[in-house]
Parts: sequence; C-alpha cells; structure tokens
Amino acid sequence: MAVAKNGGASGSGGKECFLSLRGVSLSFGLGDHRRPVLSEVSFDVAKGEFLCVVGPSGCGKTTLLRLIAGLLAPSAGEVVYQGRPVTGPSRDRAIVFQDYSKALLPWRTVKGNIALGLEACEVAKSQREARIGELLAKTGLQHAAHQHPNQLSGGMQQRVQIARSLAQEPRLLLMDEPFGALDAITRQTLQDEVVRLAAETHTTVVFITHDLEEAIYLGDRVIALADNPGHVAAMIEIGIPRPRSQLETREDPRFLAHRHRLFGLLQGHRQ
Amino acid sequence: MRRRIRGASIPIVLVALWEAGSRAGALPNDTFSRPSDIVVAGARAFADGTILVATWQTIEAALAGFAFAAAAGVLCGALLGLAPRLERIVGPTVDALRPIPSIALMPLALLMFGFGLTMEASVVAFACLWPVLLVTIAAVRGIEPRLLDLARTLEMPFGSSLRKIILPAALSRIVVGLRVAVGVSLVVAITVEIVVNPRGLGYGMIIASQSLRPDLMYAQLLWLGLLGWGLNEALSRAARRWPGAQA
Repeated sequence: MAVAKNGGASGSGGKECFLSLRGVSLSFGLGDHRRPVLSEVSFDVAKGEFLCVVGPSGCGKTTLLRLIAGLLAPSAGEVVYQGRPVTGPSRDRAIVFQDYSKALLPWRTVKGNIALGLEACEVAKSQREARIGELLAKTGLQHAAHQHPNQLSGGMQQRVQIARSLAQEPRLLLMDEPFGALDAITRQTLQDEVVRLAAETHTTVVFITHDLEEAIYLGDRVIALADNPGHVAAMIEIGIPRPRSQLETREDPRFLAHRHRLFGLLQGHRQ
Repeated sequence: MRRRIRGASIPIVLVALWEAGSRAGALPNDTFSRPSDIVVAGARAFADGTILVATWQTIEAALAGFAFAAAAGVLCGALLGLAPRLERIVGPTVDALRPIPSIALMPLALLMFGFGLTMEASVVAFACLWPVLLVTIAAVRGIEPRLLDLARTLEMPFGSSLRKIILPAALSRIVVGLRVAVGVSLVVAITVEIVVNPRGLGYGMIIASQSLRPDLMYAQLLWLGLLGWGLNEALSRAARRWPGAQA
C-alpha cells in the first residue's frame, strides 16, 4: 500500500488533492525592507506520498514547511489541506523540528514528552499508558522511557520527537531537516525507520532536507527549490521501488541519474 | 566541622569582648546592652509569647502581600511576555508606577485601609509586584520559540499551554524574581510597622527602643535576622526541588 503510490503522486488533476499549494508567495518585512522569501510555489501532494523538498540553505524550505503547518500565513496564494484552506496549526499536521534539543520539554522524561502529544489530543488517562508503550516500542525507546532528554544522544532525542508527533496520530507529518545534525550511521537508521513508520501508519510525509541523496533515497517525489526568492526549480519522480536499501538503492543507476540532475540544477542556480 | 568553628570564631570573640566591655563599663549601656541581658530579654519575650504573636503578624502581612504580588505578577507577566503589542500599551504605565518608592504609599494605604493587616499587605504587594512582573516578562520572552510553536501545533488551549509549557519553561528564571520579592516583602513589612502600623516585630522594636529597652530590641533584631535567613534558605530549597529549575 505504501509502496505503490508513485502513480498517484502526480495525478493532481481531476480529483481533490490531499495537500495542495496554489501560487503560494511570502514576503517578510514592510515597505522598502520587504523581502520576498517564496514566490509562486505550487505543487500537490497525494495521500500517503513521501515528498522530499530539497534546496540550498536560505531558499525558504523551513518557511515552506511552516506555511503548510499553518504557523505562518502566505502573503499570496493558498495552502489547501484536505479541501480546506489552511488558516492555522492543527494536530492533524505534526511537525518534527530540526533542533530536537529545543523542541523537547527538558523537565519531562521521554515518556512525559510523548504523553504531551496524547494530553493535547485529550486521550483518556487510562489509555495513555498503553499508547505510550506502543509508541516507545515503535521508535525503539523502551529503555529510555524514564530518562530526561538531556541524558540522551541526538539520535535518541530525535526519536522522542518522532514518537511525540506520532502520538498526535497526524495524517500529515512535516519534517524539517530532522537528521541534519546526526552522524551518518544514525541518520541512515532513522531514515529507514521513518519510511517504515510512515508506511505502517499510512502517514503522508513532507520531508525537508538539504541533502540530495537523502531526498532521493526517501522520497516518492523530490521537489528542488531554488533561492532568491524560493521557487520550484524542478519536480522529480523518483520511481525506485520500495523497499529500498541503503547500500543498493544508492548504487542504482536511477538514483545516480537523479543525483546528477538535481546536483546540476541546484549548482546552476547558485551561479 | 573545623571550618564552622573557624567561621564562628570572630562572632564569638566579638560577643565575649562586648560582654566584658559592658561589664567593665567601657560600653554605654543604653545602646549596647549586655549580650547576657539580650538573651534574657529574648527568652522572656518567647516565654510570654509576645514575640511569637508579633512574628506571626509580620509574616502574615509579608506573605499576604507577597502571595498577591506573586500571583498577579506571574500571570500578568506571562500575558505581557507573550503579547508584545499589549506590552507596548501597558509598558509605559508600568515604567511610570515602578519608580514610586513603596514606602511613600504608606500614607495613602493608611487612608484607604486604616491600621492593620490590609494596609501593610497592600504596601508589601506594591513593592513585590515589580520584580516578579519584570522578571516574568523577560523569562516568558526568553522561552525557546520552538516550544511555543509546539504548543500551537498541538492546538493546546491557553490555560494548558501556560501550565504545561510556558510556566515550566520560564520557571527557573521566575524563581529568581520570587526570591528577590520575598526578601523585599520582609523589609517592607518591617518598615511599615516601624513607621506607622502598630503591629508586628517592627512595631515591637521601635517600642522597645523608645522605652529604652535596647536588650529587648536586640533580641528582636537577632530573631528577625534568623527569620530572614530561614526564609531565604527555605525558598532556595524549594527552588532546587522544582522540576523546571534544572532546565
């Protein structure tokens, strides 16, 4: 189910889309200081799709994610989620922030942090314990349940954030360079786990990264953003079947071809 | 243990010199009563309960004023810290009121409430409000913006995001303001008692002084010092226990 969705991804015409950005622009500042950050960004995301957005730093990737989350409102255009324009944040669209150490409650244990998501969703106390247990198992955090975030490694902290997001049972998971600060081995492990978790829970994912290979490896589709101001430079259908493997997929000729193309695109826009 | 003995050596020597000096007539008895007399006066005041009643009156007024200021200061501070626009409207008024010495409000408080607990507590509350308010505003503004984003994406109602995220995140800094305010509360309560309000330890001290009972005055002064120290100690222990303080 989670595997065979490449066909549906591009099928934006006709039936209503899960998430759709229509001519979204955003500027910060006023008057002469007005600075466009995003310009005329349009794309659709299908239900169950894993979409990666890649681009150089400062091209507005994070801003784009905050727009989809509803934490920011566009200056022009609209973000349509499940047929309705986004006007504010919703529990149905969870965010995993890049800076995990700042996005966890340091005074709560791992369990307590995950519980926050359940408390917000008003899950009955009697059910919380079981749900927390499930989420701990899913994200491999059983042994750390009673530790505080500052006692954990970066990878473990990011797992806690992922577990908390899943506690919300979102239909859309927004991830903002979640593995950017992690070492290569941890990153690869977490990449595979996020793909597995998203498939298991039928969650649609919009994944922001500056790492081309990460984008190609994870995504059903990759959108390349170019900067000044941020706009869609290319949209690439990856078309490598799942399950993918860290070793073989990365040596796949299609993988390399995508890498070449995206590399050229992003390089070209720098100059 | 040895360090404690060494630390206590100066006070012990001074007290011994003081006792010897006043027995030998080298110190004027009307300002430097003998340490032995002070101990006797203190013991009597405890025995007949007067010092305990006075202590309760002072603590009651200080705590009432502090509690009001703490509640109002934390709540208003959190609101103003979260809403910069509101802060821009309210800020100038706060800046205008804050420099008024709280002691100068005693005549007004006396007119409004008459002698007694309410009048004293109101002056204490005015004095304690500002440190709590200002520290809370700064603390809430300094909260990691990610945590506020988190509260928003979880669609938490204001009350629960205040209770579960904002206040715990700001607590370690708010506690600093509360500690300052507790110290201020005792100082202001005693001052009000010495100047106008006929109750509490401050009143007891000024009466002892005016009726030429320096021994009793010293006894109360010592007791007051102990109280202040105990209060500060209790507060810093409570602060260390607070889970947010380690953040």
